[in-house]
Amino acid sequence: MADNTQDFAAEARRFLDAHVAKAPDPAAFTWGEGDDSTAYFSSLPPEEDREHVQRAREWQRIRHENGFGWITGPPEYGGRGLTPVHDLVYDAVEAEYDVPDTGVLSVVGLGMIGPTILAHAQPHLKDRWLPAMYRGDAIACQLFSEPGAGSDLASVATRAVREGDEWVLDGQKVWTSVAQHSQIGIALTRTNTDAPKHRGITAFLVPMDAPGVEVRPLRQMTGGADFNEVFLTGVRIPDDHRLGEVDGGWTVALTTLMNERATVGSEGAGPVGAALSPDRLSALMRATWTWDDRALRARLAELLVDAMATGHLNARAGRTLRAGVAPGPERSVSKLMYAQNLTRAAHFVSDVLGPRLIADTGRWGTYAWTELLLATPALRILGGTEEIMKNILAERVLGLPKEPVSTAAKEVRP
Amino acid sequence: MTADERELRELRSAVREFLEAKSPEEAVRKLMESEPRFDTAVWAQAADQLRLPGLAIPEEYGGDGFGLVELGVVLEETGRALLCAPLFSTVVLAAQALLASGDREACARHLPGIAAGRTTAALAVAEDSGSWDPALISARAQPDGDGGWRIGGGKCFVIDGTTADLLLVVARTVAGPSLFAVDRQAPGLAAEPMETLDATRAMARLTLDGVPAVLVGTEGAAGRVMARVLDIASVGLAAEQAGGARRCLEASAEYARTRYQFGRPIGSFQAVKHKCADMLVQVELAEASAREAARLAAEDSPEFPVAAAVAHACCSRAYVFAAAENIQVHGGIGFTWEHPAHLYFRRAKSSQLLFGGPAVYHERLLDRLGI
Repeated sequence: MADNTQDFAAEARRFLDAHVAKAPDPAAFTWGEGDDSTAYFSSLPPEEDREHVQRAREWQRIRHENGFGWITGPPEYGGRGLTPVHDLVYDAVEAEYDVPDTGVLSVVGLGMIGPTILAHAQPHLKDRWLPAMYRGDAIACQLFSEPGAGSDLASVATRAVREGDEWVLDGQKVWTSVAQHSQIGIALTRTNTDAPKHRGITAFLVPMDAPGVEVRPLRQMTGGADFNEVFLTGVRIPDDHRLGEVDGGWTVALTTLMNERATVGSEGAGPVGAALSPDRLSALMRATWTWDDRALRARLAELLVDAMATGHLNARAGRTLRAGVAPGPERSVSKLMYAQNLTRAAHFVSDVLGPRLIADTGRWGTYAWTELLLATPALRILGGTEEIMKNILAERVLGLPKEPVSTAAKEVRP
Repeated sequence: MTADERELRELRSAVREFLEAKSPEEAVRKLMESEPRFDTAVWAQAADQLRLPGLAIPEEYGGDGFGLVELGVVLEETGRALLCAPLFSTVVLAAQALLASGDREACARHLPGIAAGRTTAALAVAEDSGSWDPALISARAQPDGDGGWRIGGGKCFVIDGTTADLLLVVARTVAGPSLFAVDRQAPGLAAEPMETLDATRAMARLTLDGVPAVLVGTEGAAGRVMARVLDIASVGLAAEQAGGARRCLEASAEYARTRYQFGRPIGSFQAVKHKCADMLVQVELAEASAREAARLAAEDSPEFPVAAAVAHACCSRAYVFAAAENIQVHGGIGFTWEHPAHLYFRRAKSSQLLFGGPAVYHERLLDRLGI
């Protein structure tokens, strides 16, 4: 195995050397130089956003043509048929290079929707969409959340009614990332109002250009519009676009959610990762003459302890994965800590900066922190609120009993 | 030598089985009120049956040549069981100080006895302030004219200091802080037990009045030796803390599953459930940081000193949190002398402060990061 992954790493290195430049040494951080962004959400103007998406697609296509687009995927759908270890090896090698950000494709589509289609879709849908997604041609989104069903996803009210070989979908989805760029989405719909709420849900693959699908950008508190509202009005979907059984959509949703929690907790690169870098935070203290403030130093240490311990937890989960053990519900710890670490970092920085965080003096690396600060409430909500994550840990890891459900709460909302 | 996952699991279950038989709660309670505070017969069995004292001592000195990863598994278990034994003082502090000194002659003289379980040892660093800062050491050593040394001064917080056969003492010479070996029977040495917050960990105050001593390693080099010992001891302590914290979490979860109030198990109330989830988060971080630091030590990684500082801070906090919340989950019963919760609370607080406490370990982390 070691030889095999070493060869694979060498191959990845040859590919990357031929196509992209090396990334600057992350350890060589210099105060005042380069981009000072700490943005979690992109919030680009529409024109730049389209260019960004184009660069992502292009890089994914090059990756795919060279055998690194879908390392763990089955060969019949254009994958490489290798193990999660190879995936980790590739990621580690690629991190040394300055490659275009492909988050728009990978975070939801390739990270969560791809595995769901692979596990639950009929063969013709797999043929049609999986190669396209991993080649960068198709972007996918998650039509799960609704105005009336946030973390309580099983309360979805969007209806699907069967008419012959078709289903007619009506309802509204919200908080849908990348819907404005997507060709397909996976929708959770209510198909049975008599069954207990988890058992009356059916999942469908929805082509986003189908008549009756309308995407409206949703501007969030950061000022940007990374999410969307998606209105489904009389959208007709063939029955062969159903994922899993009729009323069996909850199983499909769980596939996506398990992948989501693993994805969100393990993020760490990019501008957000830089927010927790000891070099950057200590340079900020030097630049603001707060260097010898004992209270701030203690908080910096606490912050770094948590960030590094979370890093250790993720590294160990990665090694467990390599040994062939699937990630379990305890991965929710990483998701919780990820949000908490960045939130505490943002508030630590705000105490270091003081008034320099409330208005832009034009000085490098000061007001730029507002981008992270304003993203932190979302980090504690997306992928499941803290309360939901703690329930998962308590019930599924520690075996604590569920909250007794009253009769009224068992009824599905209309 | 490094054990694989299966061997580590076997080691863990062998140690746990041994401790369930030899260090149940009633045994811990009996020992913590007796002197010495350990059962010499159980210590001998731990050496003969499980070879615990020699586990992490190199083979050339009579040990089994494993490292911090394997020792960490043992310490997680002894921390969980609150084992009263000179394991931490002898194997984690004293033996590691001998190894870190680079003095092969001293190692050859003392380590085989330690590895076999015949010799117990203690490391005396801190004085009245409890600090491990070499600059704050005032005990002095002077040459006796025959190639030996004589030490004068006092030491405090010396774990197992009244019972250890061998005492390793840090004292100042003209060259700076230096490490010395002192025999238990040496004239001029007096040791009295200190009253301790955590009665399961015996501590002593030493008085040294011109006590004959042998220099270990290089004169003036103890600052460097102590930094290394502190990194290793932090990780050993972190393993103990992670084990203790895990035990508190398990006790809370078990109680929350089975204790009924207001007609339902208390664990079904979200306030209690989330308290337990918060404990789990801390315990998972603690285990990951302790085990990862041990792994980096075994690989001799340059990242080890930072990881050791992270493990120390993370596990200290996790254990104090879990031990305190465990009492809350148990309610009034958790505040009684009869319930074991207070034993863990005492151990957690005592361990957190053993090497200086939060203000010190925060600065140590920043120092190890070059900040």
